[in-house]
Amino acid sequence: MIRLRDITYHYPRATTPALDKLSLEVPAGQLCAVIGANGSGKSTLCYALAGFVPHFYRGQLSGHIEVAGIDVAQSSLAEIAGTVGLVFSNPFNQITGARFTVHDEIAFGMENMGVPPDEMRARIDEVLRFAGLTDLADRSPFALSGGQQQRLAIVSVLVMRPKVIILDEPTSQLDPVGSKEVFAVLRDLAAAGESTIILAEHKLEWVAVFADRVLVLQDGRLVADGPPREILTGDNLHDWGLEPTRYTQVARSALNAGRRDNGEALPATLEAAVEYFR
Amino acid sequence: MSTPFSLFIPRDSGMHRLHPLTKLTLVGFCLVGGLFFPGIWLTYIAFLVIILPLAAWGRILRPFLSAVIKTTLPFAVSLVLVQGLFWPGGTPVLELGPLSFKEEGLIFAARGTGRILMIVSSFLLLTFTTRADELMLTLSQKGVPDNIAYIMLTTLQIVPRFQSKANTILDAQRSRGLETEGNLLTRARALLPLIQPLLLGSIVDIEERAIALEVRAFGRRGSKTTLLVLHDTTWQRVMRWLLVLATLAVLAWRIYLWLEPRIQG
Repeated sequence: MIRLRDITYHYPRATTPALDKLSLEVPAGQLCAVIGANGSGKSTLCYALAGFVPHFYRGQLSGHIEVAGIDVAQSSLAEIAGTVGLVFSNPFNQITGARFTVHDEIAFGMENMGVPPDEMRARIDEVLRFAGLTDLADRSPFALSGGQQQRLAIVSVLVMRPKVIILDEPTSQLDPVGSKEVFAVLRDLAAAGESTIILAEHKLEWVAVFADRVLVLQDGRLVADGPPREILTGDNLHDWGLEPTRYTQVARSALNAGRRDNGEALPATLEAAVEYFR
Repeated sequence: MSTPFSLFIPRDSGMHRLHPLTKLTLVGFCLVGGLFFPGIWLTYIAFLVIILPLAAWGRILRPFLSAVIKTTLPFAVSLVLVQGLFWPGGTPVLELGPLSFKEEGLIFAARGTGRILMIVSSFLLLTFTTRADELMLTLSQKGVPDNIAYIMLTTLQIVPRFQSKANTILDAQRSRGLETEGNLLTRARALLPLIQPLLLGSIVDIEERAIALEVRAFGRRGSKTTLLVLHDTTWQRVMRWLLVLATLAVLAWRIYLWLEPRIQG
């Protein structure tokens, strides 16, 4: 579904690459989390997969990016739009302002793609229910809370039926309640298994719960790629500028204090921690 | 009460239900009338006879009048002071110690205020009673490119958005101890830490909104559909043609008044 071969990218006037000889493959239906310290290249990777690198940000890109059969560098943003959906961190700026209600804001992308009105209405009702926004359908999108606006941004992309959905730190500007709301939608989205999801995220406790696979970026390079538990409880996490989840930290403290066996795999989620300490 | 980040005031009124093109044609007439009506009082009469009753029909009279006064009054006061007091030569009509208001300056100020009143009030009437999305759709249906129609729409939203962002930044700076109250110098000094984040933040906002639009296939060519339905009627089409004729008549009248002395001379 996603194939990157030897991707190197420099932003305009930058001397060091934001992505450095990056190669990876993500099969269809997988939820792949991208983690790394600030400046590691997570957002650049997201923008590259959605075509904004290099079409929007310019700069120099080498290598080959293929997403859902589309050669990203050779296709226009308009051609990529229906196939790849992008959600970024600022919920407010993802409201186009071109439509008056939540219902019509969701319709905006489909209107641009020429979807017939009856089909649009059916799809909108479906995603409103999915994101728990049905009661807010007639409100102004600007009158919603941050968490509601971010859910609106997600379903506004989802309703266009993209094959790949890219989420660049979708909860970084939200309070804990808003973050929880957004992750609940992501959980349902992942459970449906209809889309390939790339999730750049700092909140490792959520990554541990949702991701099928974790990629770690450092200085634009892919430094680790594996199952969540293996990556998130590994010894290298600090070297990559990341903090283990609180469950891993507690388990490691217990291990260092000699209260647990060294052979047991450390937990990264609450459920695994309960199991670990049972 | 206007909707967030928009000047539109939702009401169930005939004025709100008018086709946006009808209201745009009225604005066109008011723009031409405001600029080219001869004499002093026609603009004021047009405001009282056309615009004010339409605002009452739209059930927005109070916020409309408040906005008209807030936007027009500063211009009126400065015109009266500057033109009335500093008109070169002229006939004094009111003496205030060493200062005197000149009749010619006051007439000029009254004419200028009338023009501003007519133009500004017609735009406010349009934005207070028309949903931005319906206005955008109308423009698109009349052949205005989508991106130009979107720029016009965001122009209507820019003032409340800027205001909200400026308030957030001001609150943040105040919480760090920035003095924003006091004499003119203190207030002017407080502007500096406001302007830089406001401008930089606005550039980032524009960039992100452009990305959000591209994600929603805004740049896609080919046929598009819409869920919005605009209702038009025969009498509105007739009204629009009458307004177009009235606008042309004003222009013709103005050209005649301009040419008349030259022809006679």
